[in-house]
Amino acid sequence: MSAADTSTVKKTGRKFDANLLRRRVKLSLAHGFVLTLVVIMLLPLVYMVMMSFKTSTEIAQNPLGLPKSLYWGNYMEALSSMGYVRSVLNSLFVTLSVIVVVVFAGAMAAYPLARIKSRASQLIVMIMALGLATPNFVTITPIYVIFRELGLLDTYLGIVLAFAALKLPLAVFFYTGFIAAIPIELEEAARLDNCNNWQIFWHVIRPLLAPVTATLSLFVMIMVWNDFIYPLLLLTDKNKLTVMISVYKFVGNTGIDPTKLFPAAVLGSIPLLLLFAVFQRKIMSGATAGAVK
Amino acid sequence: MRHRKTLYLFIIPALLVIGVFFVYPIILTFNMSFTRFQGIGKATQVGLKNYDRIFSRDRYLEAAWVTVFYTVIVVTAMNLSGLFFAAILHRLPMIRNFSRAALYTPSMISFVVVAYVWQFLYSPLNGGINVALTKLGLGAFTQNWLGDPNIAIFSVAFTQVWMFTGFTCAIYLAGFAGIPEEIGEAGRLEGASSWQRFRYLELPLLGPAITVAVMLTTIGTLKTFELPYILTKGGPDGATRMLSIEIINNLFGQYKFGFASALSILMLILVLFVAFIQNRVLRDRENTQ
Amino acid sequence: MNKTLVAAAAILVGIGGSAQAMTDLDVVAWKGNVAQPAGLPELIKRFEEQNPDIKVDLSYVSRKDVDKVVPPRLQSGNPPDVTMVDASLVALWGGAGFLSDLGEDHDWYKKMLPSVKKVMTLDGKVLAYPLEIVGMGNFVNMDLLKKAGIDKAPVTIDELKTACTALADKGISPMIFSGGFSAMLYVGANGINPKGPSPAEFGNGDLKFADDPNYNAALDSVRDLVAAKCFDPKLQAALDPWATAPQAFRSGTVAMLPHGAWNISDFAKVDGLNFEFAPMPSSFSKDGLALDLVGPGWAIPKDAAHAEAARKWIEFFAKPENLNVFLSVENAYSPYSGDATPPPKFSGPYTAARKAGDSILWPFSNEEFPKQLQSEWENSLTGFLLNLDKPNKDTLDRWDESVEDNL
Repeated sequence: MSAADTSTVKKTGRKFDANLLRRRVKLSLAHGFVLTLVVIMLLPLVYMVMMSFKTSTEIAQNPLGLPKSLYWGNYMEALSSMGYVRSVLNSLFVTLSVIVVVVFAGAMAAYPLARIKSRASQLIVMIMALGLATPNFVTITPIYVIFRELGLLDTYLGIVLAFAALKLPLAVFFYTGFIAAIPIELEEAARLDNCNNWQIFWHVIRPLLAPVTATLSLFVMIMVWNDFIYPLLLLTDKNKLTVMISVYKFVGNTGIDPTKLFPAAVLGSIPLLLLFAVFQRKIMSGATAGAVK
Repeated sequence: MRHRKTLYLFIIPALLVIGVFFVYPIILTFNMSFTRFQGIGKATQVGLKNYDRIFSRDRYLEAAWVTVFYTVIVVTAMNLSGLFFAAILHRLPMIRNFSRAALYTPSMISFVVVAYVWQFLYSPLNGGINVALTKLGLGAFTQNWLGDPNIAIFSVAFTQVWMFTGFTCAIYLAGFAGIPEEIGEAGRLEGASSWQRFRYLELPLLGPAITVAVMLTTIGTLKTFELPYILTKGGPDGATRMLSIEIINNLFGQYKFGFASALSILMLILVLFVAFIQNRVLRDRENTQ
Repeated sequence: MNKTLVAAAAILVGIGGSAQAMTDLDVVAWKGNVAQPAGLPELIKRFEEQNPDIKVDLSYVSRKDVDKVVPPRLQSGNPPDVTMVDASLVALWGGAGFLSDLGEDHDWYKKMLPSVKKVMTLDGKVLAYPLEIVGMGNFVNMDLLKKAGIDKAPVTIDELKTACTALADKGISPMIFSGGFSAMLYVGANGINPKGPSPAEFGNGDLKFADDPNYNAALDSVRDLVAAKCFDPKLQAALDPWATAPQAFRSGTVAMLPHGAWNISDFAKVDGLNFEFAPMPSSFSKDGLALDLVGPGWAIPKDAAHAEAARKWIEFFAKPENLNVFLSVENAYSPYSGDATPPPKFSGPYTAARKAGDSILWPFSNEEFPKQLQSEWENSLTGFLLNLDKPNKDTLDRWDESVEDNL
C-alpha cells in the first residue's frame, strides 16, 4: 500500500467522521423534534387528567396550572358510584367474545371472496360495502325488534352479536385484501394432498392472519369500550353493563360538570389504555398491516 | 372446480349477520322514507314528499356541502399528518413504537369525553388554548374557536384530525414496513436526500396504504356526528351543520323519522358514491405506478 | 285429611306466592344518576321498605337517549314498567297509544294545577303523573354584585342594565348570554306577554312573530344590554350553555347566568359561592318574570309487565312526604295545589315573583311552541348575537317559517 493510498484513506476517514457527527446531530435533532410533536399531541389528554384533579374554581381561574393539590375527592366520588370492577370485567369479556366472532366470521367470508372473482362474489363485496357505509343510528330500531323476536335481549350473546356486526364489514375487507396477497401455490400444494376447503382454511390460511387479527382486535376493543347506545338499548341487567355506562352516569341532561365527568372518564379509559400498553407491541407491529398488503 | 362452489358456504355466517344488521334495516329505512312517521305508532304514506322537500330547500344542500367540505379538510389533514409522522418515524426506529402508540391514544378515548375536553380547551372564557397563547406572548392569535362561524368548522375538524392522526400514522407505518429494505438502501447509496427517497422511492410504493387510509377516513368522516354534535351542535347558526347532524335532529329532536329516513338514504348514497369514485381513482393510481 | 290437604296447599301456594311475589320494577328515568340524583336513591330505599315484595331497578338514560332507547321497547311490547316522560313524550307516545290511562279518580289528579293537567292528559286520558315545576331565571352571584355596590338581584331591565354597567366598571364580567339558551330565556321573558295572547297562537301560526311588537322589543332590548356592557355578543353567541357556561358561574368569575333551577343543588355545593336564583328581568313586570317549566312525570306504558307495582310506585310519589324529598333536592315547585311544599332553597326572588303572579309557563315545555321552533330559536338567536345590526325581521321571520314548516 502506498503512502498516497493511506492518505486518501485517512482523508475520507476524517471526512466520514465529520459526516457522522453531522448525521448524529441531525438525528438527535430529529428525535427531539418528533418527541416534542408527540408530546404536544398528548397535551389535551394531560389537560383532561389535570382537570380531573382540580376543583371548579381552579379549572376556571387557572386552566393551565397544575392542580394545587391532588384532589382525590373527585375520584373517590366517581369510584364509589361506578360499580367499577364488575363493569370493567364485563367490557373485557364482551371485547374478547366480539373479537372471536368478528375474526372467524370475517376471515371465513374473506377467503372465498379473495379467491373467487365472480359476479356473485362482487355482489357480496358490494353488500359488505353497504355495511361499512351505513350510519349506525339507522339500524337501532330494527335491531331491537329482531333481538326481541330472537330472545337476545339482555343477554351477553345479543350484545356480542350486535357489536360484532358493526365491525364485520371492515373485517371482511381487511381479510380479503390480506388473503388475496397470500400466494396461491401454498393452497395448491395442500389441495394435492387432498385437503378439503376447511382444512386448507384452517391449516394454511388461518395461521397467516395474525397481523390483521391484531388490527381488528384493536378496533373492537375501542368500540366496545366506548359505545354506550347498544348497552343502554340491549341490556337491562345492571350486572351486565359495560364500563362506559358507568362513565355515562356522569353526563347530565343539562350539561356536565368537569370535576365529575373527567375523573370518571379517566377511570373508564385506564383499563383500555393499560391493555393497549401491555399488548401494544403485538398489536401495533402488525397493526393495519392487513389493510395494506 | 367443486371446491369453489362449497367455498361459498364460508360466506354464510357473515352474510347472515350483514343481512340482519345492515341490509334489512336499510330496506326498512328506505320504505320509511316515503312515509310520515314519528318513530312510533302508525306511518302514513306520503310518496316522494320527503325527498321533494329536501331538494326544494337550500338548507339540506347546504348541509351536504358542509359535510363534503368538512370531509375534504379532515381527510386531507388527517392523511398528511399521519403520513408526515409515519415518514419520519420510519427513519427513527428508536422512538417508533413509543410514538406510534402515543399518537394512537387519543382515538381510544370516547368521542363524548374528547368533545367535552375540547369544549373546555376552546372555551372563550379562560379556555386552555387561549390562555396558553396569551402566556406564550401570542395573545394576538386568540380566537373564539367555536363561536366564530368562519373558524368553527376548522376547530371541529382540528379535533377530529387530532384524534385520528395516530390511526392514519399506524396505517402508513405498516405501509412503510412493507417496503423492501433494499430500496431505501439503494437510494441512500446513490446519495438521494431523505426527501428525495420519500418522494421518488417510498411514496410510489405506498399506494395500497394510501388507498386504505383515505377510504377508511373518508367513510368515517362522512358519517361522523359525535364531535360537531357536542362541540357546536351544528352552530354557530348552522355553520357546522352536517347531514348527519340534520338527521339526528330530525330523528330524535323532532321525531320526524320519515323525513330523517329520506335524509339517511341520501347520505348513504353520498357515502357509497364517494367511496366508489375514490376506490376507482386510487386503485387506478396504484396500478399505473 | 281435607284440612291437612288444604293446609299443605296453602303452604305450597304461600311458598310459590312469596317466591313469585318478588317483583322487579323496571324504571327508566333521566334523573337519578350521579350528575342529578333528584333524591331518587333515597326514595327508592324508602319505597322498597314500604313494599318489601318489590325491588326497584332504576336505569338512568339521559333525556336525549330516551328517544333512542325507549321507543324500540314500547314498540316491541317489552317496555319498562315505569318511564319518565315530558310533555313532548306524552304527546308522542300517548298519541300513538303506548301509555296507559292512569284514571281521573286519584286525589293527585284532582289537585293538579290546570295548566299542568293540560299537558299530562290527552283525549281525556291521564297519561302521566307530573313530578315538578322547575323554574328558569337568572342566577346572581351576590358577592360580585356587592363588589359593584349592589345588594339586590336585578329584576327589571333598568336594574339589570345598572348592575351590568357597575360590574363592568369594576372589571367584573357581568353576564353569560349564550345564544343557545340564556338568550332564549331573556327573549322569552320579554317577548311573551303574560297578559297578551297565548303563545300557542304563535306556535300554530295564527299570529306572526314578525308582526308582534313585544318580540321586536325583546330583540331591541338585547341590544340595550350590549350597550350597557352586559356581555360581548360575538364572544358569547355560540358559547356552550351546558358545559362551559355553568362552569363559569360555578367558579365565581361571572356575576349572572340566565339558566334553569336544576343547577341550584350543584351550585350550592361550591364553597364560597353566594348566589340567588332570581326571575328573569322583564319589561312586563316590576318583580321580574318567572319562567316555569313543566317538568317530567311518571308514566306506565301500555304493555308494562308489572303494572300493579308501577301504580304503587306512582301512589308512593303522590304522598306529599315523598314528593317533597324529590322537590327539595330538585329545588322545584309542586305541580299540585294545596300541598305544603317547602319553597326551594336560594330561590327567594323567584318564589316572590311566582307568588305575585308574575310567571308564565315556558311554551317549549308544554307544547305550545313546536319542538322544531326551539332549535330555530337557538340558531337564530346565535346568529342575531353574531350580527346585531341586522333588522329584527330577519330573526323573527325565521321563527314564523319554522312554525309554518311544522304545520
